[in-house]
Amino acid sequence: MKVEIYKFANRLKERMGSAFAKQEEGFLAPSAIAEADKLIAEICATSPETIAKHLKTLDGLWEKLRDGDAAQRQDTAVQLFATAHEIKDIGAMCGYDLLAYFAESLRDYIERTELNLQAQIVIVQAHLDAMKVVHQRGFRKEAGPEAEELKLMVQKAIDKYH
Amino acid sequence: MTLFHKKPLPYDLSNFTILIVEDSPHMQFLMSQMLKAFGVGEIFACESANDAIELLTVMQATKKSKHLTAVDIVLMDWLMPKGGSGEELLKWIRGHERDSVRFLPVIVVSGYTTQYLTATARDLGANETLVKPISGNGLASRIVSVIDHPRPFIKAPSYFGPDRRRQVVPRTGPERRVTQAQEVRMD
Repeated sequence: MKVEIYKFANRLKERMGSAFAKQEEGFLAPSAIAEADKLIAEICATSPETIAKHLKTLDGLWEKLRDGDAAQRQDTAVQLFATAHEIKDIGAMCGYDLLAYFAESLRDYIERTELNLQAQIVIVQAHLDAMKVVHQRGFRKEAGPEAEELKLMVQKAIDKYH
Repeated sequence: MTLFHKKPLPYDLSNFTILIVEDSPHMQFLMSQMLKAFGVGEIFACESANDAIELLTVMQATKKSKHLTAVDIVLMDWLMPKGGSGEELLKWIRGHERDSVRFLPVIVVSGYTTQYLTATARDLGANETLVKPISGNGLASRIVSVIDHPRPFIKAPSYFGPDRRRQVVPRTGPERRVTQAQEVRMD
C-alpha cells in the first residue's frame, strides 16, 4: 500500500508577516473575541421575534400541506424543512434547547418520504403545537416536567402514524 | 534570557480571506460579523455547496498562479438542504486536481452533535469541526488551530486529507509494518 505524506511551509502564518514567524502558539485579541460574543448576544436579543416569524411561516406551510394539492406537497415539504432547520439553528445558537430539539425532530420527520400525507399533517401539527407552547412560555431547557410532557405529546403523534 | 521580553502579539488576520458556506441567513450574517470582529480582511459568503464550488472555480480561473488561491480558509455548514451539502463540498475540495484547492483548510460548523458527523467530516478530510452554538472563543480557537497546526496531508488509497493522528500512541505487539518511517515519501 502506497502512502504519500505532504508537508509544506505554514502559508497562513506567512501571510501574517514576519512578526509571527517564530511565534509557535498564537491567539486572537481578547477584545475581538469579546466583540464577537457581543454580536451573538445582540442577535439573540432579537431572536424571540425572529422565531415568532418563523413559527408563523410554519403555520402557513402546514395549512398549505393540509389543503394544497398533491403536486405541491414536495415543494411545501422543502420549505417546511428549511424553516424548521432555521429555527433549529437559531434555537441552538441562542440557548433555546427545547425549541431546537422540536425543530430538529420536525426537520428530520419531513425528510421521511415513506410517511403518507395524513401522517405528515399530524406529525407536523404536533411539532408545531409543541414549539408554539415552548415559545409562548419561554421554556428553554430540554429537561424538566413541562419538556417531558411536550415530548410525550409529540411522540404519541409520531407513534400513531409511524 | 533577554532584558526586554517581547509580549506576543495577537494574530493579524487582515490579509486573510475566509469563505463562509452557510444556508441559514442568520448564521451566515452572524459568522461574517464575527469574522469582521476578528479583523479578517475579506469575507465571502455562499448559501450552498454548489455556489461555493462555482465561486472557487471562478477564483481559480481568474488567478495567475495555480498554487495560490484567493481563499485561505473555508468555514462550512454540514447540512444544507438546498444546493449541495457540506459533505459534497468537502469531497469536491479534497478531490480537486489543483493543490491550491485540495489543500484548503476546512472548518466544518454544524448543529449535528453526533459522533457520526465528527467521524464523517474527519474521514472526508476536514481540518476542524465546530459544533453549534458557536461562541467567540470556539470560532477563534478553530481558526488559530488551523494557523498554528497545519497538519501534513496524507494521501492513501482510501483517504486524502490532513493527518488524522493527533497523538503518538505507543504500539504494543509484534511489528507487522513493511514500510519504515524513513521510506515514506515526503513532497
